[in-house]
Amino acid sequence: MTAGVRNLETGLKLGRPTARVPAWLTLPVGVGAAIIFAWVIVALTVHWWAPFEPLQSVGTRLTGPSWQHLAGTDALGRDVLTRTLYGTRSSLPIAGIVIAVAVVIGCAIGAIAGLFGGWVDSFLMRISDITLAFPPILLAMTVTASLGPGLRNALFAMVVVWWPVYARLLRAQVISVKQQDHVTAAVSMGAGRGRLLVHHILPLSMTPILVNATMDFGQVVLLAASLSFIGLGALPPSPEWGSMISEGSVRFYEWWIAAAPGLAILTVVLGFNFLGDGVRDFLDPRTRRR
Amino acid sequence: MGTYVLRRVLMMPVLLLGLVTVAFIVSRTVPADPLSTVVSERQLNNPEVVRAAEKRWGLDKPLTTQYVLYVRNLLRGDMGTSFRTKQNVREDLAARLPVTLELTLASMAIAVSVGLFLGIIAAVRRNSWVDHLARLFALIGSSLPVFWTGLFLLYIFYARLGWFPGPGRLDPRAVGPEKVTGMYTVDALIAGDFATFGDALQHLALPSFVLGWAVMGIISRLVRASLLEVLNQDYVRTARAKGLTERTVIVSHALRNALIPTLTIIGISFAVLITGAVLTESIFSWPGIGSYAVESSRALDFPAIMGVSILGGVIFLVTNLVTDMTYALVDPRIRLS
Amino acid sequence: MNDGKVKTGRYVAALVVAVAVVAAITAACGGDDDDSGGSGGGNNDRPLVIARDMDINSMDPSRAYCDTCQIYLTATYDTLIGLDPKDNKTFVARVAEKWEGNADRTQYTFRLNKKAKFADGTPLEAKDVKWSFERLANVKGSAAYFMDGITSIETPDAQTVIVKLAASDSSFLAKVNASYAGIINSKVATANGASNAKDADTTDKAEPWFLKNSAGSGPYTLASYTEGAEIRLARNESYWGDKPALKEVIIKQVKDAVTQRQQVETGDADIAMQIDPDTAKKIKNKNVTIKEVPSFNFVYIALSPGAKDNKVDLNPKIREAVRAAVDYDGIIQVTLGGGGKKQAAPIPNGFLGTKNLALPKRDTAKAKQLLKDGGQPNGFEIDAIYPNVNVYGVDFNTMMQKIQADLGEVGIKLKLQPVEFTVWVEKIRGDGIPMTAVYFAPDHTDPIQYVQYFGMVPGAPWASRAGSKDKPIVNQAEVDLSAKALAASSDEEREKLYESIGKEMIADAIILPIVNPNLVLAYRSDLEGMHYSACCNLEVQRLKRK
Repeated sequence: MTAGVRNLETGLKLGRPTARVPAWLTLPVGVGAAIIFAWVIVALTVHWWAPFEPLQSVGTRLTGPSWQHLAGTDALGRDVLTRTLYGTRSSLPIAGIVIAVAVVIGCAIGAIAGLFGGWVDSFLMRISDITLAFPPILLAMTVTASLGPGLRNALFAMVVVWWPVYARLLRAQVISVKQQDHVTAAVSMGAGRGRLLVHHILPLSMTPILVNATMDFGQVVLLAASLSFIGLGALPPSPEWGSMISEGSVRFYEWWIAAAPGLAILTVVLGFNFLGDGVRDFLDPRTRRR
Repeated sequence: MGTYVLRRVLMMPVLLLGLVTVAFIVSRTVPADPLSTVVSERQLNNPEVVRAAEKRWGLDKPLTTQYVLYVRNLLRGDMGTSFRTKQNVREDLAARLPVTLELTLASMAIAVSVGLFLGIIAAVRRNSWVDHLARLFALIGSSLPVFWTGLFLLYIFYARLGWFPGPGRLDPRAVGPEKVTGMYTVDALIAGDFATFGDALQHLALPSFVLGWAVMGIISRLVRASLLEVLNQDYVRTARAKGLTERTVIVSHALRNALIPTLTIIGISFAVLITGAVLTESIFSWPGIGSYAVESSRALDFPAIMGVSILGGVIFLVTNLVTDMTYALVDPRIRLS
Repeated sequence: MNDGKVKTGRYVAALVVAVAVVAAITAACGGDDDDSGGSGGGNNDRPLVIARDMDINSMDPSRAYCDTCQIYLTATYDTLIGLDPKDNKTFVARVAEKWEGNADRTQYTFRLNKKAKFADGTPLEAKDVKWSFERLANVKGSAAYFMDGITSIETPDAQTVIVKLAASDSSFLAKVNASYAGIINSKVATANGASNAKDADTTDKAEPWFLKNSAGSGPYTLASYTEGAEIRLARNESYWGDKPALKEVIIKQVKDAVTQRQQVETGDADIAMQIDPDTAKKIKNKNVTIKEVPSFNFVYIALSPGAKDNKVDLNPKIREAVRAAVDYDGIIQVTLGGGGKKQAAPIPNGFLGTKNLALPKRDTAKAKQLLKDGGQPNGFEIDAIYPNVNVYGVDFNTMMQKIQADLGEVGIKLKLQPVEFTVWVEKIRGDGIPMTAVYFAPDHTDPIQYVQYFGMVPGAPWASRAGSKDKPIVNQAEVDLSAKALAASSDEEREKLYESIGKEMIADAIILPIVNPNLVLAYRSDLEGMHYSACCNLEVQRLKRK
């Protein structure tokens, strides 16, 4: 989505994975998985086989795509393709960390809100409402503007943007689980809140959280790129897709500077979207295509 | 329903106050110097000028006093004067809101019409190449950063081909239509000025497509999914069994019910569009709320940042409320609790 | 679902028709604007469009302080004296028909032209000059320092103004020539909340009024201003001087150089002045004239030995090492495609006294030797915090990445931290920044502004940044020389003095100028009178269409 869309559909119904036919394994899912797998391999191995050094000037500046520089060179004469490939090393880990931290923090807050109820619940949920009321990019901009640019601060900003999604999700789960008969029974038999959480709530909540997390992965990649695009993310000279597009945007007649990183973002986000569909269908057969 | 709406509406001021407080704290604890917007870097070394500026812009009082003053003025409808534009923030927002509104409404129209169309053909011919193609097209839109799409569309269709006009809302030499709503297309129609209307429409085409394409995916995906679900239900089967044509079945039976979940998502997409507008407006030189937000936060223009945050919060809360209410109205089975 | 397939064909057809209809409507209504660019020449009634990334901080002459403000104010407010476009140095008559300074430059007398009148018809008199100067000083805006040192302004009659100064100031005429010193219609302004009183910084409420109105005697008046979009100027039909040719001038907000280029090429804009030399080289269009002229702007890096975060001793040897390690020609290539010049001292090329100064040169062997002499044989690591901007065609991120690579070759590792300008200001005012990169554009045409800003003299911002707030670095030679220069009345004498000051400032090695970018004037070939003015940026009243 535009600049990071928090997935607010918290009302995913539960279902149990069945082992019958792998109906979830469709072409898009396969393509998605292949794309992501390929990018992960690139991220892990690019330093062995990349044609050039990402930070060094290796050719005549501002030359278009050629056999020597498949995606052209930028204003400093660096190879755009090499830089794009190295870009995975910031984009993928960023997205992973943001999602992981947001899930942990969000779930903790959501669980507390759901389990304790009362004013604790209202307080925490109002905070999440307020956070959600800020447009994501504005919120992230304000945070990074105050902390200064840099990947670490951008990470922090994106976690601030994303935690309410998971908090709401887990809270909804907790509340629905609390009303189920066997849980009421367990509570009446003296089961504590911790036990309730570990044995009854978390196992059931894994599904929607996993689905959401996969779908959000691509969105975080987009938001990170947007932050770098406006100069609040990665610091130069590190090759980051958003900042590369930003460099390309001021020299637009040299279109190739922005082309490769843009296509890289497209494939990664597309890959995660495909994959997310598959994960959802796998874990939630109700939405599976018939 | 009445009490529910009332409760939601009553909750709003509380949320807004929270929003104001958070925005205030965040924007004032920033390790940056707001005076650099009002005083040149050279004059910042002149204590006399600095004192005068602090006094004039109310920065000489303690933070708590500033906060109380801000909230009090806000209750009177006064959002203060922007450090950067030197205009009343409310006037700034009023001038820029219609610009963003025009862009978002146009994008919404594109997203909904094309998204609906793609969703329907994808569902009707599911798993065919039409389905795959429709879904891929919608998905690509939502997988590309808007700033990238915007740049490339401008490069291709303006700089290279010249099919569409460049950034801005009207031909650079043209004068805007007389202000009624502030939206050039609407105002031109009201004035009966079709040349200006066409000009404005042409300028609107690229940016609204960029934004619309970005949210199209959410809509078409949901339409497809809900339509598939509905098509399998008993009443649809009955309708088919009665011998109605497939089109009648889809349009008058299935679609109506499939649209309910779509309505919610339209509400959410609207908030998303406003966000996407931030980057799109910057690229297309649209003087809307989005570019205002970017410029204000760059300049650390407190009153403007606060104004934008409050406006954004209100829009978000209101769209949420309206969406939920529409949802309840369309589908009476849903009880709001 | 079998018959479903047949029906989708109709949906597709419907969509295609709908798209076609919309396209047809927009095409029919919009009209073609491509041809209007070239063939419409000869008509001065057609509005002139200047595409600019506007940086307006105020439309109030006493508070404004920006490049776009200079263009706007020059068009709407006459100054006492103008600048000859032929040499960008000689002052010429404008509102004042005669002027003179006394021998030690402590008193200036201006004789006003009787014909001068404001756009509303009121005659421009000495009291307006006095009022405007006092207001400029008292609202304490950014250009208020132009009026520093004035002890009194006397108006013996309606056409005579005598300004008395506390100390010698040979730069006073240059300040009066600057667009911020334009003469305001005191009656109209006062009626709308303006004040020239001592407490004007709090009592003057006219700034919002100036957003919608101008109150000058200039060749144009403000027709409308839409923040973030455009400034529209209308010709002052009753202008007291030579009537300008163009009827309407629009300054349009266009953010980046590439879009400005596109707009000049299509004829959407007539003038763009912020295209970088690199982009300009690619314009091959007979309807567009490209002129690359020397500018008075420059970009520099600055080293602050006194900055709190400093981990290494930035002694003069180390600072010289940095200077010797930078690849100046390479940077000019990388940032501007060669469209710039090296600069010796923090006084830009073209200003008095800069002709004979030695330009910096890369010498890595010398840099390594200096590092050894300075006590850092293995190099060191240093934070480079700079505003993340793109000015005068120089993208700071690009420039700093190149400097990072250059310094890396001699063992100096830069940690680059681009920050927002507001954050940068906070840091530089607070603890200081060990190494930074900034830019500077002149406020007026006299070199003294550079000494008072970059020199190691008391009160100069960089003197306290290089040292500390309580203990600024002071170079006594610069203090003495600048006092002499301010009292000197002949240009020959001042030239010699400023040359000596320039040498001292080079030896300080606090400010290391990197590049003096050329200015690209890109304009439609049917325009005449296009020139870059040292005082006023662009004087639209001199423009006309062939």
